[in-house]
Amino acid sequence: MPVDTKRVRGPEESQSPLLFLPSIAKKSVAAERGRQDGRRRGQADVRPVFARCGLVSQAKGSAYIEAGNTKLICSVFGPREAERKDEAGASSGRLLCDLRFAPFSCPNRGAWIPSSEDKDTAQGLLEALRPGVRLHRYPRAQIEVNVLVLENDGSALAHAITCASMALADAGIEMYDVVLGCSLRLDGNSFLLDPTLQEETAGEPGAQGSVTVALLPSLNQVSGLQADGDMREDTLAEAVRACMEGCHKLYPVIQRALLRAVHKRASPSES
Amino acid sequence: MSPRKLCVPGEKLCSTEDCIPGTGTYLRHGYIFAALAGYVFRKNEGEELPVISVVKETEAQLLPDVGAIVTCKVTSINPRFAKVHILYVGSTPLKDRFRGTIRKEDVRATEKDKVEIYKSFRPGDIVLAKVISLGDVQSNYLLTTAENELGVVVAHSEAGVQMIPISWCEMQCPRTHGKEFRKVARVQPEFLQA
Amino acid sequence: MAAVQVCEAEKVYIMHGVRDDLRVDGRGCEDYRHMEIETDVVSNTDGSARVKLGYTDVLVGIKAEIGKPKPAAPDEGYLEFFVDCSANATPEFEGRGGEELGSELSCTLYKVFNNVNSLELRALCIAPREHCWVLYVDVLLLQCDGNLFDAISIAIKAALFNTRIPKVTITEGEEGGAELELSDDPYDCVRLNVENVPCIVTLCKIGHRHVVDATLQEKACSVAGLLVSVTHKGTITCVRKVGGGSLEPESIFEMTETGKRVGKALHAPLMKLLRDEEAQGKQRQKVGFLG
Repeated sequence: MPVDTKRVRGPEESQSPLLFLPSIAKKSVAAERGRQDGRRRGQADVRPVFARCGLVSQAKGSAYIEAGNTKLICSVFGPREAERKDEAGASSGRLLCDLRFAPFSCPNRGAWIPSSEDKDTAQGLLEALRPGVRLHRYPRAQIEVNVLVLENDGSALAHAITCASMALADAGIEMYDVVLGCSLRLDGNSFLLDPTLQEETAGEPGAQGSVTVALLPSLNQVSGLQADGDMREDTLAEAVRACMEGCHKLYPVIQRALLRAVHKRASPSES
Repeated sequence: MSPRKLCVPGEKLCSTEDCIPGTGTYLRHGYIFAALAGYVFRKNEGEELPVISVVKETEAQLLPDVGAIVTCKVTSINPRFAKVHILYVGSTPLKDRFRGTIRKEDVRATEKDKVEIYKSFRPGDIVLAKVISLGDVQSNYLLTTAENELGVVVAHSEAGVQMIPISWCEMQCPRTHGKEFRKVARVQPEFLQA
Repeated sequence: MAAVQVCEAEKVYIMHGVRDDLRVDGRGCEDYRHMEIETDVVSNTDGSARVKLGYTDVLVGIKAEIGKPKPAAPDEGYLEFFVDCSANATPEFEGRGGEELGSELSCTLYKVFNNVNSLELRALCIAPREHCWVLYVDVLLLQCDGNLFDAISIAIKAALFNTRIPKVTITEGEEGGAELELSDDPYDCVRLNVENVPCIVTLCKIGHRHVVDATLQEKACSVAGLLVSVTHKGTITCVRKVGGGSLEPESIFEMTETGKRVGKALHAPLMKLLRDEEAQGKQRQKVGFLG
């Protein structure tokens, strides 16, 4: 249907009504000693995780992860012929990461076009995944990783890392290790592991920060680290350690999900 | 049959003193680790140690590599080279499309200067070739057919009938009896399947 | 980025040197290269600075414009970063070649300044919900010789120090609305407090040790690095793992520790230098772009 361009159909810019919420409501979490969902502060207390492989039948490999209300889906395509060829990419494969937040994934509606912040998150995902993938086994090829955040309730990047590495393993891409992600919110003197969106945004300004760690659990190597905020160096070290502990808590769940996916497939003949 | 062992990437399988690393595994600090999520196989291949490998599905995932024999389909030709799509590596079908090039110089091993592409390949031909290079920034996989066993294996005549090879450089249409030039492969008997 | 070819023998040479705390250009593992800073280099900007670090050459210009505050922070101004990788630096940046690096650099800058302490954003507010100053920080890479992050962050700090924002007064308009009036005295201006602006220290892991301010050759020997942004108090505002490889947890702790120490030590001489330069005032001999 043709659109009447002359008619003003609504405001050019619109704001979320959440902006006009009184700010007191936002701060209620910070005051409490515990956390709203009953987890404890300062403990490696991650949300229960549900993970499954192989739900997108068209993709080479795929995975779905759910941690609290954070829900992500990831599919992996390739290895296929590289589109862009440059000198550096000839001897080893290229990993391409795309991370998108569905417009309805956050309290404020997002645009379909990825913002520069989304691209930065995708870059962080790529940084974290690349050390885990044996890219030199795929010369002149590219492997595409697409992550879609269906619902963002905090720690999106950390779970995106875990979800993407599961999808890579499901696709049969050779890897050094699975990559697990965990994030943490510094709030005053205590830390909140695997924070919800509310915990990520609330709290008094000044003494905060957020840390995301990606870990290769059996090699005990940190493949990704992002930290923002204002923190002391020893606090940071402590936060990284806590995140690693969180990753290790996640490991058995991911392991089981991967083994289950292998088991479901027809077992190969002994030839 | 005992239940097969399963593993996930990064799992330590055994020491190099016990096994030889096979496909789907890698070495690190004297230990063999799994690179795939799949089934663990130990197989004795006449060596002292068994080969340990991780297999994911029935067919392994392969990429064309230097030295690999590939089956491809000719998509276009010009006086200098033929462009092909690589369909199989060995006997494994590729899931995605990979493009390759057979240059005029790589069609035959002898009398290279007399080679003419249109007398060797036609679009639609199925060709056996060998990967000689992964190519550089500008080019795709470079392939060669400069061996007796390599070249056209399936070709159709202008009448649309599959032709029968009659010499190393000619094929004949069974319906019109017209002859067409091709770089014919002498397919090894073991590759011929009924 | 501009690629350098380093052969295996060279790599071994560099790695052995780093192991013995002696780098190819004679520096120790925690030393910066020779650095030159000049502020107020471009007259059309509100603040500008140029930093040379080895052969890395960065020019930063800051323009202040009046905009509308972001709805999420109605009483604060904000900063916009843009990094341009011009083809002057290396032919690889031609066309869209530098876009990826440029957006990576600017994204990191947003993160570095994304906390309440780095810069007093409230000072940039003119009228809550209505008007605020937007500082456009444009970074131009003139030459690339490794360690862009550090050079850019130092240049930004210098340029912010140099920035003078004209005073604005709000008067009641005739129809009741507020009117902005810009002071026409060029010396009647607001300065920014840059004390807390962090500097980025990039550490590259080479062999079992790590180095500060790696050259392109050294960077080619390193599989992974850590980018740490440090304030003058020694607090860390941003950490990021860079490069394709992974790091052991222990070396991350060592690297942040070094980063903090080196970064903290960087601020005092930098501020002293900037103050000295400013004290010279008009008598200062301008070096410009040929120096």
